[in-house]
Amino acid sequence: MAGSRKLQKEQTRERIIAAALKVYSERGFSSPTTVIADEAQVSHGSIFVHFPTVESLFLCLLDGFSQDLKSELHSLVECGNDITKLLEKHLDILIKHEAFYKRLTTEAVYLPEEAKNTSFHIQSTVSIHFLQALEKEISAGEIKHIPFHMIFNTWLGLIHYYLLNGDFFAPNESVLTRYKNTLIECFMALIK
Amino acid sequence: MKTCISCGMPMNKAADFAKNDESKNYCIYCAREDGSMKSFEEAKASMTGFIIKTQGLSNEAAENAAFSAMRKLPGWQSNFSENTTTD
Ligand SMILES: [Zn+2]
Repeated sequence: MAGSRKLQKEQTRERIIAAALKVYSERGFSSPTTVIADEAQVSHGSIFVHFPTVESLFLCLLDGFSQDLKSELHSLVECGNDITKLLEKHLDILIKHEAFYKRLTTEAVYLPEEAKNTSFHIQSTVSIHFLQALEKEISAGEIKHIPFHMIFNTWLGLIHYYLLNGDFFAPNESVLTRYKNTLIECFMALIK
Repeated sequence: MKTCISCGMPMNKAADFAKNDESKNYCIYCAREDGSMKSFEEAKASMTGFIIKTQGLSNEAAENAAFSAMRKLPGWQSNFSENTTTD
């Protein structure tokens, strides 16, 4: 009995997190918890049984999201020194998580400090694989002489600008899917 | 894939491991010259340097990001155990 109650409690917790992910992705981080409760089909009070504060719910959700995303991003290692393939794969992974990732980058200023750091940890994971892929080309002079962090930030900057203005570039569709090839070709032309 | 307990870097070839030793659970960057694992302060300094090099953060923000990353890594849990109640 105690075991099944524990399991049920765990399931409710998971359901709240999944609902929060959906609501925040669709409506942004200022969404009230009542909307999350409705989406999860639990009472409003039930959310606070599992998470004492909205911030703790958010950080827990973000932690799970970043763990998942980081383990997917580690597959970038398979690209070796093939930079175009690396960019393609990076975008493919972001496309899978586009709605929430977009919120995370475009609403970052409203987030608590710990959450902001988590965003940088996600980018750190990407940067490790970028550095490994580009290092040889940089020292061989096949890539322009630009500090590594500026190469990396230029790529992220492009992606984030298109995400931020997705409504203008690709209304009602995935902006990263639509501009995937353009972004990659442009970036390669810039750094080569 | 094994990841470094000290910095979280994925280790997928022998050269990524401390002393090329795949039985180690920390990476080449988290090892001292003699192969032992760096201290908390040493590891924090090298992670801060890595963040500055790859993402261009200011020194202070990079240190902050390194500190908060270490909080989540298995190699440093004992360094944070007194602080867990402040979360
Ligand atoms: Zn390491």
